[in-house]
Order: sequence, then structure tokens, then C-alpha cells
Amino acid sequence: MLFQTPAFLLGFLPVCLAGFFACGRLGRHNAALAWMVAASTFFYGWWNPRLVPLLAGSIAVNYMVGGRILHCARANRPAAARRWLIAGIAFNLGLLGWFKYADFLLHIAVPDAAPLDIFLPLAISFFTFQQIMFLVDTARHQYDAPDPLTYAAFVSFFPHLIAGPIVRPRDIIPQLRSSMLSTPLAANLADGLLVLLLGLAKKLVLADTFGGFADIGFDAAAHGASLSFVEAWYAVLAYSLQIYFDFSAYSDMAIGLARMLNVRFPLNFNSPYQARNIAEFWRRWHITLGMFLRDYVYVPLGGSRQGELRRAINLFGTMLLCGLWHGAAWRFVLWGGLHGMFLVCNANCRVTLPRAAAQTLTLFAVIVAWVPFRAATPDATLTMLRGMAGLNGIALPQMIVHAVPLLDRIATPVPLLPWLGDARTLSFPEVSACLLLGWFIVLALPHVHELSDRARHWALTAGFAFSVQAMFFAPHVAPFLYFRF
Amino acid sequence: MRRLRAIPRRNSFGRIAAACIASLVLYVTAFGLVLDHPLSLGFLRQQIDVKVALGAAVGGPKLVVLAGSNGPYSHRCTVIARLLHMPCINGGVAVGIGLDYLFARWERVLHPGDIVYLPMEEAQYVRGRVETDVGPDAAIMLRHDWRTLARLAPDRWAGAIFSTDLRDALMAPIEMALVAGDFHDPREAVTGGTDAWGDHTGHTAAMAVANAAELAAAQPYHPDAAKIGAGYGSTLIAAFLDWARAHDVRAIGGLPTGFADSPPSDASIDAIRVVYLSHGADFLELPNRSLYPRVAFFDTPSHLNETWQRIHSVAVADGLVALLRRTVSLREPPLSLRVGHRPAAADPP
Repeated sequence: MLFQTPAFLLGFLPVCLAGFFACGRLGRHNAALAWMVAASTFFYGWWNPRLVPLLAGSIAVNYMVGGRILHCARANRPAAARRWLIAGIAFNLGLLGWFKYADFLLHIAVPDAAPLDIFLPLAISFFTFQQIMFLVDTARHQYDAPDPLTYAAFVSFFPHLIAGPIVRPRDIIPQLRSSMLSTPLAANLADGLLVLLLGLAKKLVLADTFGGFADIGFDAAAHGASLSFVEAWYAVLAYSLQIYFDFSAYSDMAIGLARMLNVRFPLNFNSPYQARNIAEFWRRWHITLGMFLRDYVYVPLGGSRQGELRRAINLFGTMLLCGLWHGAAWRFVLWGGLHGMFLVCNANCRVTLPRAAAQTLTLFAVIVAWVPFRAATPDATLTMLRGMAGLNGIALPQMIVHAVPLLDRIATPVPLLPWLGDARTLSFPEVSACLLLGWFIVLALPHVHELSDRARHWALTAGFAFSVQAMFFAPHVAPFLYFRF
Repeated sequence: MRRLRAIPRRNSFGRIAAACIASLVLYVTAFGLVLDHPLSLGFLRQQIDVKVALGAAVGGPKLVVLAGSNGPYSHRCTVIARLLHMPCINGGVAVGIGLDYLFARWERVLHPGDIVYLPMEEAQYVRGRVETDVGPDAAIMLRHDWRTLARLAPDRWAGAIFSTDLRDALMAPIEMALVAGDFHDPREAVTGGTDAWGDHTGHTAAMAVANAAELAAAQPYHPDAAKIGAGYGSTLIAAFLDWARAHDVRAIGGLPTGFADSPPSDASIDAIRVVYLSHGADFLELPNRSLYPRVAFFDTPSHLNETWQRIHSVAVADGLVALLRRTVSLREPPLSLRVGHRPAAADPP
């Protein structure tokens, strides 16, 4: 069930809220939690009910292992606790590895082998990391063991089950235990609804619009078309906007939904394209994943405590893992490797650039790295990069060159740009206007959670009708990009 | 943990509802009454209006070609009219125009004895209801043609009200500004123009050279037979055929032009034929099934270049003559309606 569909917003959500708060009215905290687990299970099983046992089994095993870790730690048997921790992590990584990476690894080991065609369970990357975090934090004595129902609610909580945010157990479990959890609070409901609606507009109106532009260019590259300078750049700029709006919209909707249920989620995006260096970008982009990688991978590997070389290796390795987490494909590894390289360069850079130059350079690096991330094949990546470098020539619509004759010196006038928008006469101004709006929003405006109360309502006024238009009258519903990760 | 900033307690459902209602009111007002698309939709609207007006002006039995752009690009009414001795109006405009809208406009000017030839593109049969509801005609009706909108199903009203997405919203003021600034529309120079009978002209083989690479790589869309049979477009066509039969208007289905190296399947053609024959219409299938080599096309499989447009039109006219000879008395068109071009010089080899 997609957050942005009428089935979710007009069917599932009202029923879920009503049942949850009805339990609260009756003073049954555990009943409310059980209702939430049941609703979340229904939400998860909507795609494929056969996957519910996998989620339930994962939750049960991790809860049991967490209990053993805590038991051993309390019995002052740290070695046994450590063994249970390693077993639990191995279980989670084994599960993730089998479903997500088996074919990838098999292809590396035996290139000619027939693929196993293992079905990738929805959200496995997220609930696996979530539970590894739980086991590690349990071993670090960061909280008392939750009861099984609270733990099941924490992992399966539908606002973050599919695509995060990846939340710390110590931040969420106490909220789920709160006696006020299932008490309907008008302020939380209204605040959550407002953020949910703004996230909805961000997804349906902005992300999906830019996704359409990006798909045309990248699909053409995947089919061997030769993209000119403008077509390639417009496709990449559109994808950069699509992935930001899409994922931050999902996070906003998750935050809003959680807020309606009296749970506060952490911020997951903080205007990342306004970052002035790549390290700052990663403190602003997918913040909860960055936090996980820092605290549960980079720091345990030694972080920056063992010299420059080791720090570089740790940074690079962590980012390779980050890339691989996004998908079992070399393009994601390449994307992670590029970001690892950027981070290493940034860590060793002694030059201080002016703010605008630093932001431009960072943005350029991030945008270029999206090319292999999005392109379907290495050849498509090269096609896009060739186009962006101008090696396929610079072409512009005749009407533009006619209007600005100076452009004739650098661009070839053509009737239409076939891989730009709908390849109509007016596609160039149309895509240009959309890109200008999108980049203005991400570069010049504060994000949703920084907006004033008044500004949020103005934003809702600007976007709500378009959301209705997209939800009920757009021919296609595009799923969130991060669902596939 | 970074959290949402503290939100003032001034949020309330009332304020949210007010913002939502204001959004809807502004949207409907802006796109229903104020903003327009004089270039993109204006071009389509002007084409439809002119062609329908011509249809209304022609007295006596007439042939109307109704399709998407396959109509005007691949069919030449000036050629067909001369061979049929009957005035011919090329009524097609573009695939995106909703068939129910197209039929609603033409039903007003069709009379007993008229003939409608429908070489509909394959995509027309399977075009879904949602796409139809928010097609370009939806915005045209909302802004300029409430009369036709009122005749259509209620879902079309909602579709018309909500037919503007972000892209359209941004382009509306841009198009209005371009028109206000005497923008020179380059389309005619690039693709040709339209003659008095609705035919597309000037899309010469020489001009098509610029599209050669695109044509060579083009992969035609061929929906399968099941989709054609169950398609929403097929339903709309069938409803029109029923209307035509009830009003003594003779409807004749046809095949759209396409690449000879990438033909639709026999099953798909059968499914198209069934749409017409099962609703009392005739069906014209040319010996070559309207398939031509890629060099015959202008920019898409629905658009023959001008030379082959004439060749195809002769073939269509011959087929129609054979089909009509049995039931319709063909007669010379009134002098005022005769096409004023020199066939001998203009006809293709």
C-alpha cells in the first residue's frame, strides 16, 4: 500500500487511527499497541501476504537474541553476550544477503551461472538495519528490554517500516511505552496531518513531475540513444530533484503519520543540496542512514582514531557498504565508491573555498554521482556522461536559437530535442521552467520542518489542489524510489 | 536525535481545511477562468474548431476522416474527394484528443447520408478512461467549450476541472506571455501546415530527412488483441458507431498507417475489425494493410510524408469507392466544394 494512494489515505489510515485511539479511549495501552502491530502487518502484507511470516520471524528471532544478550550481560557474561550479538548480526546479514545479494555474489563467483531469481522482500534493508541497531544497542546496555509487543510495534510500525527513517530504539521504544501514546491529541493530529499533506504534495506534484523528465533521458541512454548536452544535463538535474523530493517526501509523510500517532521521528533530510562540502551533505541527506553507518560501521571500524590512512580506508569502506545497501548492483557500488572518494578528498582538503563555490562544487559532485546510480547500465552511464560533457554536441530548439541569436555560436538549432520532456515544440521552456522551480525550492527555500506555521499553510494552499489532481487524475502512480532499496 | 522543530499550537484542522479549500478554489478559478494555453492547446482548439465549422458549412453528403494525427498526416482529403466525387473533411487532430469529445463535436454536424472513415491509431482503442478524462480536450472544454463538456459523462467534468498539472500550470503564463509578445510559432516551418480541408501539408520527404534517425529507431506500439477488445477507446468508438447507425451516418473503420517491417499482429487487426463489424459499420482493409516502408514516413508511424500521403489516399479512395459503390450513389460535389488544386501535377508517381 503506497502512502500516496487513496486506498491508504482514505481507507487504511482513518481505520487505523480510529482503532488505535478507540483502544486508547478504553484505557487499553497494550490493545492499542496490538492494534498498531496488526495494522502494520496488514499494511506490509498488502503487497504480498506471503512475506508476513518473514517479517514476523525476523522480529521473533531478533527479540529472542536481544533477550539473550541482555540476560548474559546482566549475568556478567560479556563473552556470551558478544557471541549472541555476533550470532544475531550474522542472522540479519545472512537474511539480507540471501534475499538481496545472493544473485549478485553468485554472478561474481560464477558469471555464467543461471540466476537464482530470489524475490526481494519489501523493506528488508530497513527492518534488518533497524534490528541490528537494536541488538547492538542492547549489547551496549542502552535500554531495558522491551516487552515483545512493544518490540514488534517498534519494528513493524508502518510509518517507517518500508523506507525508514531508521530510528534508534532508545528514541522510539520509550515513546511506544508512554501512557499517552494512544490518547488522541488534537495538536499532534493536526501537525501530523499538515506534514503528511505537505509530503504528499512533494511526492505527487514535484517528485513525480521530475521523475517523468528524468526517465525519458535515462531510458533513452539505456536504449543506446545519443543525448546532447542539454538533454543529458536536464535528465540528470531532473533525477537529482526527483530522488530528493521523492525520498524526503516519504520521510515527511512518515514523520507526519508517526506524529498523528503520538510518536516523534527524527529529521531525515535537512536541505542536503545546500551543503557546502560532501561531509555536510551526508549530515543532511538520509540523516538516519548516515547516523547508522557512522555509529554502527565507521566508528566500530576505528573511525578517525587510527591515523589518516586508516580513516580514509574506513570512510571509503563505509561508503561502499552504503552503496551496496541501496542495491545489489555495481552501479550502486560505484556510487558509494564515488562518495567515499569525495569524503576522503574532503577530509584531506586544506583549501577553503568561498561559500558559493564550495556549494557549487559539492552539488556538482553529488549530481555527477547520481548518474551511475540511476543509469541502467554502465553503457548508459557513459552515454549520459558523454552527453553532459558535450561530446555529443550542443543542440537547442530552433525557437530558442531564433530568439537568442548569440546561442547560434555554441548550439546547433534543431526542430525538437527528442529526449527532452515530451519532445514537443514547447518542451524546452516547459522542462526549463519546472527545473528552475525545483532547484529554487531546494536551494533557496527552507525545508518543510523549518518553515514557519504560516508558511506551511501557504505551502499547503499552493500544493493541495495539485495533489488532488495527481492523486485522482494522473494516469500513473509512481511508487517511492526507496521502496526498491 | 534531531526532531521536528517545535510547532506552534496554532495548527488546527480548521486552518488546514481552510488552506485546502483555498487551494481548490484558487486552482479552479485560475485554470477555469484566467490562465490558458494559447499555443499548445490553442493550436489544437483552433484546428478542431475550424474543421468542425467546415463540416457544418458543407451541405449534402460528405466524407469525414476521423482519427488522431494519422488522419491529417497520412490522408489527403483533396485527393480522396476528387476520386470519390464527394466533399471530404479531414477531421482528425491528435491522438491525445478524447474520442468522446471528438465524436461529441462531430455528431452535431453529421447528417444522414454522411460517411465517416475512421483509420484510428492502435493506441486510440486502448487509451484508458483516466488518460481520456484529463487529455488536452479536458482543459479546452473547461476553458472554452462548456457546451460540449455538459454533454459528456460526469467523470469528464471532474477530469476537466482537474486537468492541469504542475507542468501545465507553469506553462500557462509562459504561453500567454509568448503570445502577448508576438511569438512566432515555428511549427509550420518544421512540420508543415494545414490546408482548407484539414489535410496536413508541407511535410515533405526532404523535410523528413531531419527525422531519419528517429524514424529508423522508432518502435511502433502494438497493443494486443485482448487489450483492443477491452479498451476504453473501443467502447467509445462502439458508442459512436451505434449513434451513427441510428442517425443514418455510414461509418467505415480502417487501419492506421504503420511500418511494414513492424506490423500489428493478425489477431490485433481482427480485434480492430470486430469493433466496427460488431456495431453495424463497415471495415476497409487495404491489400497492404496500410503498411509502408520507413522511408515513406515523416516522423512517426502515424505520419506518412506528403508524397506517400497522396499514394495512401488514392488507395483509401479506391477502397472506399469499391465499398460504397454497392450502397451509396456517388455524385459530383457542388462546384463550390471542389478542391482547387492540380491533381496531375501534385499527385505522387
